[in-house]
Amino acid sequence: MPNIVLSIENLSVSVGSRIAIKDLNLEVPNNTILYLLGPNGAGKSTLLRTIIGYPGYNVLTGVIHFENEDVTDKPMEYRVSKGLALAHQIPPKLVGIRVIDLLSTLCKRGGCTINDVAKEMEIEHLLYREFGKGFSGGELKRVEIATLLAQRPRLALVDEPDTGVDVDSIEIVARGLKKLVEFSPHKSIVIVTHTAFIARYIEPDTTCILLNGSIIRCGEAELLYKVMRHGFKGLV
Amino acid sequence: MASKAWFDEVRERAAKALNKPSPYGLDVDISPFLSLAEPKSRGLLDTSKAEEVGVNLKANAMYIQVDQVYFNYLSRIPGVEVLRIEDFIDQRRDEAYEYIWRLVDPATDKYTALAALRGRGGYFIRVKKGAKVEEPIMACLYMSYGGLQAPHNIVIVEDNAEATVYTGCTIAPEVLGLHVGISEFYVGKNARLRFIMVHSWNKVAHVRPRTVVNVDDGGEYISYYVNMSRVKTLQTYPTVHLASNARAFLASILLGLGDADLDVGSGVYIHGDNGSAELISRALARDGSKIIMRAHIVGEGASRGHIDCRGLMLSNKASIQTIPGLTARNPNVMLTHEASIGRLAEDEINYLVSKGFSKDDAISAIVRGFASVEIKEIPDRVKSYIESIEKVISEKAL
Repeated sequence: MPNIVLSIENLSVSVGSRIAIKDLNLEVPNNTILYLLGPNGAGKSTLLRTIIGYPGYNVLTGVIHFENEDVTDKPMEYRVSKGLALAHQIPPKLVGIRVIDLLSTLCKRGGCTINDVAKEMEIEHLLYREFGKGFSGGELKRVEIATLLAQRPRLALVDEPDTGVDVDSIEIVARGLKKLVEFSPHKSIVIVTHTAFIARYIEPDTTCILLNGSIIRCGEAELLYKVMRHGFKGLV
Repeated sequence: MASKAWFDEVRERAAKALNKPSPYGLDVDISPFLSLAEPKSRGLLDTSKAEEVGVNLKANAMYIQVDQVYFNYLSRIPGVEVLRIEDFIDQRRDEAYEYIWRLVDPATDKYTALAALRGRGGYFIRVKKGAKVEEPIMACLYMSYGGLQAPHNIVIVEDNAEATVYTGCTIAPEVLGLHVGISEFYVGKNARLRFIMVHSWNKVAHVRPRTVVNVDDGGEYISYYVNMSRVKTLQTYPTVHLASNARAFLASILLGLGDADLDVGSGVYIHGDNGSAELISRALARDGSKIIMRAHIVGEGASRGHIDCRGLMLSNKASIQTIPGLTARNPNVMLTHEASIGRLAEDEINYLVSKGFSKDDAISAIVRGFASVEIKEIPDRVKSYIESIEKVISEKAL
């Protein structure tokens, strides 16, 4: 088992004509709950999408290693098959596809049971609804985390699990994230947030600050609480 | 006799409408189909074609028609009567007179006129008062030879009864034919009719079904229509009339392939108070197909209605047009519509790939999702037919 699950070196990424990530370096070791903090537009979602290989996110320089394998030029399908997974900040609505349809496909691959996943995330009432249609913010996040629980990834990348979510849902989402850490053979996870509300329920081991497309600082949990008290301005 | 006078009048009115075009759809020259010569068809049913459109030929109540020459029907279900329309007229002429050509005007256009003058066959189905029939009543209308097939279908679901009628219409490959199915449905007080119609034609077939449904107080009409194959031209516009507390739900799934010209709509008139109507259509346009989706709800009583039309463009040469319409004739009416047309959404495909789907599987799941419409309270057996048809549609769409 490699000590470093994910390592990113000198990464620069363009999206359209804009350079969104600049010379970024990041390591996710084993046994690490890593929080990636940054204000809106800092490049957090871009970084996660680049790591998983989303089309349209063009790597200009740098390399991404996942479990010691260079996946920089690998397509998203490959990276997901290797155990990377992304919880989207805002999943799209899927017309005519019910939550149960998606979970059933994922569970067939991941070996879970739909009921267990649904119970864990308290989404039993949403199973027969069209995916994303008319869901509240909290329901959307719970369903999204449920898809990751069904995938059972080796490393989950979670984008803004606490944005637009009511307090009750945050607790459930945090429970789901803890399960994802449990499922990970590395016992690691990457959580992106700009509010850090979720940190009340799942404590960070490492906190990294992303500003203007670059990691400007990584530190221990204390850094997160500092940001929560004083914001990002004092860190520049 | 009043019935004789009525049938004479039907023929007279039809004869005068033989040149009357339909306001919608491409005009088809019907002169080749007016011949009085006996059809040369041998009336052989291709069972594999029947099964392709989901018809269970072992059903306990069914009607089979091949071209205009072979007819077979039976009912072993208590409370369900199935007859060929001519047998119904012969056996109970005075009763038939109350139902035939009462909802559909034979002079509506040249296709109804042609059906009134040259049509043969069609089913008479009656579900007796209070009968709750779970097993679908099956009908198969098959064209093996070409020419005209113009069956006249009557369905009567009496008060407090409930039934599902499943009709599959299909044709042999390369056979040039015109299908004009006339359907008049009577749904009684607090009765419920679920009507599923699956069409699978060929690239030279013209199709002009004409359907009118009357739903009495508290009744319910649920319709699910699918065109799942190539067709040359298809135009239909079923119309439903709702009395007080009655409800209609009509869903159409339209697959456009090749150079097909589809003009499919539906109209609901809510005459009574507390009625409701929901019209849903989904069009998937591939190749050089042209699809027009029409929908219109007229609220005359205090009522609610919603139209949802969505089109999926799967080719640069295809076209889709939606024409939703709402008319209120009562201040206590709440009518809404939504319509959208677009291509396959990249963000949906990428989302599913990020969940472990291959790109092909993601596209297939999205297309299938697009073509699936949830219909509540349909028997499981019918649900499974529909699911398998949705699967075929998504495969053909790609």
